[in-house]
Amino acid sequence: MKNITRTGLAALLLALVFLAGCGEQEVSQRPDKVSLESIDPTGQEIVFWYQHVRAREEALQEMIAQFNADNPHRIQLRGEFAGSYGDIYNKMVVGLQGGSVPDLLVAYQGQALEYYMADGIVDLRPYITSETWGLSQAEEADFVQAFMRQDRIRGGVQIGLPPNRSIEVIYYNVDWLHELGADGPPQTWDEFARLCRAARDTPFSGNLNKQRSLGFILDEDASRLASMVFSRGGNFLNAAGDAYTLDTPEATASLRLMKELVADGSVELMGERYGDQTAFVVGECLLILRSTSGLPFVKDGVEAGADFDWDVAPPPRTTQEPVVNFYGASISVGRTTPERQLAAWLFLKWFTEPEQQARWVKASNYFPARLSTGDLLEAHFEANPRYRKAYALLDYGTSEPAVAGYDGVRRMIAQAVVKVMQGGDIGPTLQRLQREANATLEEY
Amino acid sequence: MAANSQRRASLSQWLTYAGLTVAGLAAAFPFVWMILSSFKTRGETLRRVFVPQAVQWDNYIVAWKEEDFSLYFENSLWIALFVVVGTMLFSLMAAYPLARMEFRGREPVFLVILATLMVPETVTMVPNFLTVSWLHRVSPIPWLNNWPALTIPFMVSAFSIFLLRQFMRGIPGELYDSARIDGAGHLRFLFKIVLPLCRAPLLTVGMFTFIGSWNALGWPLLVTNTPTWRPIAVALQKFVTEAGPEVHLQMAGAVIATIPVLVIYGLVQKEFTEGISMSGLKG
Repeated sequence: MKNITRTGLAALLLALVFLAGCGEQEVSQRPDKVSLESIDPTGQEIVFWYQHVRAREEALQEMIAQFNADNPHRIQLRGEFAGSYGDIYNKMVVGLQGGSVPDLLVAYQGQALEYYMADGIVDLRPYITSETWGLSQAEEADFVQAFMRQDRIRGGVQIGLPPNRSIEVIYYNVDWLHELGADGPPQTWDEFARLCRAARDTPFSGNLNKQRSLGFILDEDASRLASMVFSRGGNFLNAAGDAYTLDTPEATASLRLMKELVADGSVELMGERYGDQTAFVVGECLLILRSTSGLPFVKDGVEAGADFDWDVAPPPRTTQEPVVNFYGASISVGRTTPERQLAAWLFLKWFTEPEQQARWVKASNYFPARLSTGDLLEAHFEANPRYRKAYALLDYGTSEPAVAGYDGVRRMIAQAVVKVMQGGDIGPTLQRLQREANATLEEY
Repeated sequence: MAANSQRRASLSQWLTYAGLTVAGLAAAFPFVWMILSSFKTRGETLRRVFVPQAVQWDNYIVAWKEEDFSLYFENSLWIALFVVVGTMLFSLMAAYPLARMEFRGREPVFLVILATLMVPETVTMVPNFLTVSWLHRVSPIPWLNNWPALTIPFMVSAFSIFLLRQFMRGIPGELYDSARIDGAGHLRFLFKIVLPLCRAPLLTVGMFTFIGSWNALGWPLLVTNTPTWRPIAVALQKFVTEAGPEVHLQMAGAVIATIPVLVIYGLVQKEFTEGISMSGLKG
């Protein structure tokens, strides 16, 4: 029996050693040991994991085909739908354990930071500054610097490059506002509350569901609360970027107002995914706070729904200037081999050129990451005036924390919002939220 | 007195039927909603109209064509077939010794198998992926992005082993004694005598396995990168864009995806119920 046990253990150990050995083979040569300028990316076959579906995926695949046909290095990129952002994160976490990562992948800043810390993606700074392969100073300056900063961590390490961004705006029903005697969207949070109560009491004449009339539907998503906090001059992270600031007067004021409005029936907590958009397009809800990436969905929805005049505006505010929450996933380059990494960078560089950006923007309705792209979008602006209006707000953008573990904190924030709306005390809830959120920073 | 008790019995029967009817309607409602939504226009799904004004057969055509459903559908059928056959075979062969053979450590082995039921899938995902990645490198057949990664890890199921073992324990020992007198060993006894008797629980195992395999999404996304072997659940996911869902198309896709499960359930319904009750799983 003992012999059998020993033999079994030895076999297991051997298997583990063998497995570990196999894993080692996957570890790439670090680019800092090889001169970037001398690497030849010719003929590399690389893979890009993305989350886009339907029209966006079609457009992206067409662009990839063009890159494959036109690039002088005969690099062949294969674009692969890898599921939602969460699915890509799961694939990446598991892939990191197995030593296999894609050449390019879509990642939010917090996720990219985790990958970088696990040695799964590379610093793009050497590629950006490379004399042979990099960006000129003018090209680098052409990127919206606030977007670039989102992907930059301590030491100037660039963990991703932004191909696009979206901002969070208020969508409002113009016709209903007129019926309520208002001549424009709410500029302040007090005005917002007044309009919400008026909408509760005076349903929209074109409402397709007469039983329900609301001022606003609150999505518990962390980005919604972030927008409200930013518009009051607050932030989710301190200036040093080393501690969450979730228990603040701005967060308290945001939650208190929403709680009051939920209590008096003029605001509802969102019960189903995209429920706010659905309620808006059928004329049940006066205002929603949403990403500009939803503009085409709302446009089609209103046309198929209550068919009213609508528009977008920055969220109500207490600050002098508008403040909008901008966000979006960037593209990171996986740690593979120097040749493949360079090939991946070359696609990324091509993809963020103004011509490609303009094409991508038209297909996706995202905002471009390059300033000069705006010059190529005149026709698109003309055809999409709401997009143009939102685009003009980019200068007022601020962003959510780009720290490792923020995905988990977002879930905590959502839970805190729900708890407060269901009757929980704001003070203790925010204190606990801040404590738990800061504890996640210590994990990294 | 007798009339009173008869009336009471009749009332209680009516209440039972009423309760069952309500429960039945509640269970059926999501399916009815799914079918009705699959025939709506986009506007009707947004307006939450219950019954569509005009039936939109086009939704099925669009769903089928736009997301290449035929490929995903075929993939799902093959994957489910492999997993069901594999699970039936291996569960049968694992359950038999645990039910009928005497050997040291039988109960602990069974307990260990049962204990694996308590481990959530997310915990086993990383080790499973590592194993599959390693097999992908060393095996002559590629595992990743291919059928082996989607099927082989699921061909052993603790629940199926448990279900079959419970049933086999009820087979009279005299049958084995008679078979031995006729010169049969364990294998022949298993395949000639036990297997035909296990028809109902085996079909139950097959049904559960089929449903699990058909609905799988997380693991297939992890081990595949192209549509070549991706199952139908991946295609369904594509109808939810970042900007919002296309409910009418998603529901048309969901109806298409549900049809095989309903057909198979219809075929094995009797055995399924029998299998559950005979294995001692009925409440």
